[in-house]
Amino acid sequence: MSIQQINSIGMEQLRPSTTQPTNKISPYDAQQNFAEMLKESINGVNDAQIQSDNMTNKLINGENVELHDVMIASEKASISLSLTMEIRNKAVEAYQEIMRMPV
Amino acid sequence: MFQSMNITASALTTQRLRMDVISSNMANVDTTRATFDDGEWQPYKRKSVVLETKGEGFSSFLNTAMNRDESVGNGVTVSSIIQDDETPGELLYDPDHPDANEDGYVELPNVDPLREMVDLMSATRSYEGNVTVFNANKSMMMSALQIGKS
Amino acid sequence: MNLFSGTISQLEQGLAYSSLNQKVIANNVANVDTPGYKSKDVNFERMLQDEIQMTSSSFQPSNPKHFEITPKQSTSGVHQRSFSVRENGNGVDMDREMANLATNQIYYDALIERLSGKFGSLNSVIQGG
Repeated sequence: MSIQQINSIGMEQLRPSTTQPTNKISPYDAQQNFAEMLKESINGVNDAQIQSDNMTNKLINGENVELHDVMIASEKASISLSLTMEIRNKAVEAYQEIMRMPV
Repeated sequence: MFQSMNITASALTTQRLRMDVISSNMANVDTTRATFDDGEWQPYKRKSVVLETKGEGFSSFLNTAMNRDESVGNGVTVSSIIQDDETPGELLYDPDHPDANEDGYVELPNVDPLREMVDLMSATRSYEGNVTVFNANKSMMMSALQIGKS
Repeated sequence: MNLFSGTISQLEQGLAYSSLNQKVIANNVANVDTPGYKSKDVNFERMLQDEIQMTSSSFQPSNPKHFEITPKQSTSGVHQRSFSVRENGNGVDMDREMANLATNQIYYDALIERLSGKFGSLNSVIQGG
């Protein structure tokens, strides 16, 4: 009676549906995303450093640049660099953590 | 960055020059022999400065024409020092004076000490105002150097 | 990853306005005795509007041999007050300029403090983690 009814509930709803697309990212894609992000970040840091150097040069040559703009640009470059260094440190730490795992 | 300081520096120079002209007037308040022309000594004539705003050259006009906004300007300068030859000086009756004319009158310089003192006070006040602006500017820049230093 | 958007970029705009205001005040005080000079001031909203307009319009030369015109972006938003208070045509009120000077100085210092604070907190977040 009830046991038969359980069978007739509709087992299709409990079966995992294979028709929906899965959102799983392969490890390769995850690596690519991270590499992209790291490269973007390094380019950003490079741009910030170049911008800061340009401003400093203008300051040295006495051109028409505001003092606070120079200070802000140099601070931005410094923060961007610290951030990238920390990301790199964490990535290296994670790698070392994994390498330390006994096989 | 130093544009604001240049503006104030130009103002300080101008007021200093104005003060020099005023002191020259005050020093020569009794000078009957200032210049020798037409075979006669002429008395000292009062000098004054003409002030003019310094623009930034062609770029300021171009900017103004394109934006319909003013440009900041570059301070003040003395465009010329003019001599007041029209106002006659006071005539003093002193026939024994070596510079007396036929009627026995000596022409004194047309310098009015009271007016010079008023000009002097105005120049001093402007100078002090500019010094205040300069100090404020310097303190702003010093605090800008502290960005990121904590 | 844009660390420096939002408050920090607004602080930068405020600092640009403040330094322009400082120049204008300095020029007004410098010309306190110049006959015919009318004092100028800076309007913040107008300065922002003018900057937006200027970055969106570009002057393309019609002939490749013409020079390109690049307007200086540092003086938008300045306009002239049109009254005069003295008989030589000068329109600078020294007391008002001094008050503006003090206000502007405090404004600038406050913005610098806030900016230092933001950078400091970014630094401590990055290095403390």
